[in-house]
Amino acid sequence: MAATASGALAGAPKNDMLGAEGYLRIESVRKEFDGFVAVDDVSLSIRKGEIFALLGASGCGKSTLLRCLAGFERPTKGQIILDGQDIVGLPPYERPINMMFQSYALFPHMSVEQNVAFGLKQDGMAKADIARRVEEMLALVQMGKYAKRKPHQLSGGQQQRVALARSLAKSPKLLLLDEPMGALDKKLRSQMQLELVNIVERLGVTCVMVTHDQEEAMTMAHRIAVMDAGWIRQVGTPDEIYEQPSCRFTAEFIGSVNLIEGQIKDDEKDFVTIASPAMEHLVYVGHGVTGFEGQAVALALRPEKIQVDKDEPVQPHNKVRGTIEDIAYFGSHSVFHVRLPGGTKLLANMVNSQRWASEKFTWNDSVWLSWGDQAGVVLTS
Amino acid sequence: MSHKLLRSVRRRLPGSRWLVIAVPYLWMLLFFAIPFAIALKISFASAAIAMPPYTELVQWAGDKMQVTINTANYLFLVRDSLYVNAYLSSLEIAVVSTALCLLLGYPIAYAIARMDPATRNVALMLVILPSWTSFLIRIYAWVGILKNNGLLNNFLIGLGLIDEPLQILHTPVAVYIGIVYAYLPFMVLPLYSNLVKHDHRLLEAASDLGARPWKAFLTVTLPLSKAGIIAGSMLVLIPVVGEFVIPEMLGGADTLMIGRVLWQEFFNNRDWPVASAVAIVMLVLLIVPITIFHRYQSKEMESKLT
Repeated sequence: MAATASGALAGAPKNDMLGAEGYLRIESVRKEFDGFVAVDDVSLSIRKGEIFALLGASGCGKSTLLRCLAGFERPTKGQIILDGQDIVGLPPYERPINMMFQSYALFPHMSVEQNVAFGLKQDGMAKADIARRVEEMLALVQMGKYAKRKPHQLSGGQQQRVALARSLAKSPKLLLLDEPMGALDKKLRSQMQLELVNIVERLGVTCVMVTHDQEEAMTMAHRIAVMDAGWIRQVGTPDEIYEQPSCRFTAEFIGSVNLIEGQIKDDEKDFVTIASPAMEHLVYVGHGVTGFEGQAVALALRPEKIQVDKDEPVQPHNKVRGTIEDIAYFGSHSVFHVRLPGGTKLLANMVNSQRWASEKFTWNDSVWLSWGDQAGVVLTS
Repeated sequence: MSHKLLRSVRRRLPGSRWLVIAVPYLWMLLFFAIPFAIALKISFASAAIAMPPYTELVQWAGDKMQVTINTANYLFLVRDSLYVNAYLSSLEIAVVSTALCLLLGYPIAYAIARMDPATRNVALMLVILPSWTSFLIRIYAWVGILKNNGLLNNFLIGLGLIDEPLQILHTPVAVYIGIVYAYLPFMVLPLYSNLVKHDHRLLEAASDLGARPWKAFLTVTLPLSKAGIIAGSMLVLIPVVGEFVIPEMLGGADTLMIGRVLWQEFFNNRDWPVASAVAIVMLVLLIVPITIFHRYQSKEMESKLT
């Protein structure tokens, strides 16, 4: 476990090591099942060495897209080009792609060793070479000691390591991960996420993963595509997706968010103001938006960007008075549920940077919420 | 009040549990152990013109007890090549028909296991349905199909494929047809119950790792269905070795099977001791496959639980 002991920073994905753009190109891929459109005209371009996450709720089409990449499903329409070669017509066993299955799909009648060797055997590799490669892969995932065990004699985490070794053994051009942490408990999960990223980056293999867990996607991936109903709603780095959501769906899907509905009042080049029926004061946003006066918009405001105070802040806008209706204490921070006079509810986080900090406030206290000019994002769709 | 009742029920519980276990044991004792002991006893007696037609093992002469163990019946089985040949021929027929059942039954079981659940039940019904008719009647039906002016020959002549009827009835071919027909469900059902549990993602994983479909079948599906193959094979092999009705009705005079020999010893020669010895030896021969079957069946049961 030495690799994980070096801490979170060693495992977190780094963008500066990525190779050429367009290594994997998914072009207008559509997949229908008996009239139901599972994947609707999806286009993506993924760089060599990138870890790319397809994130969405179940039934959003992310797994179908992954199965199209693996070759288990054939797209109704569209092209998939990997390293310059169109692979849509190739059966799974001819694709230079390997997959780590959800709950691993290890062969129960074979030992750890035989599982890892399986793919190499299919290529007709010489026995001595296979043995050397298997040993190398098992060392990589720190499973050398367990080579002779059968899968059912291993714990969930160990099975995952074997599954990873098996899918990396053939040095695939593309590694697919289907809900990679789905079968692990929470504690093991965060450790394995970073370790997996470490291994994948060390080998420089391009990787597409599917997950419904936003934390997992944010921790592991260089870029994330948020999917909904067969569509890609937004593609971006984890911080872009979180801080700059492009639509209400992504804003609400990732993390928690307050959406303040209103209309654009002043539409200037470097700022806009929004009049919201829920607020007495104007909302001031310190950057321009592509919109027009009177347009209905929503301000997406993350709870941790909101300041909670007892006294009225001096700023003329971006503040509102409300009553604390609920306090959720999470230890590291507390979440206040604040009801505004109009009935709207806002969430505001407070970091408990001092012990007993949240005891300043209690239920039914009247408080002021305020936020900065750059704290929110204006959503038009 | 209810407390008292509960306690009295609990006190009786071990008793009722014992009763549940006792029923099958009692059954085995009555219908297997005792008949087996009787047959064993008779196999060590000598034939006699009496009623029943064998001598007693234990005789009392005054206050002396005289026990006579006659091993001649067993020695006779070894010395007379008829019996050795009958055993060998029975085993051969059983092994060949088991192999035929496997070759035919595996694809059937595989296809049913991969059907969607609604059609799967219909297909399973079709496999089981024939056994709702009497075994004897179904074998009689095969006589009607296979005989010289039977359905099959008339059909082939009608098509103009042959001029003369084929002699199928009373040949080994007819025996194999009858056995494979009658025992196929015993092969298909255990195979099906094994194959239906297979995780299709294992085949996807094999394919993903570069195995063509046929290779994936040989390296993943086939080894994982080993327990089903053995269970099905033993369910066919064991009863076929002692099969009497099918060779009697469909086979010729030269179809030598131990079941028929036993029948002749018992009913035609009225030599109960030799007939009993034949039966005991057959049972001893079958203990090996029965043990194998038992081991794999319990393995199957365990795998169902996990």
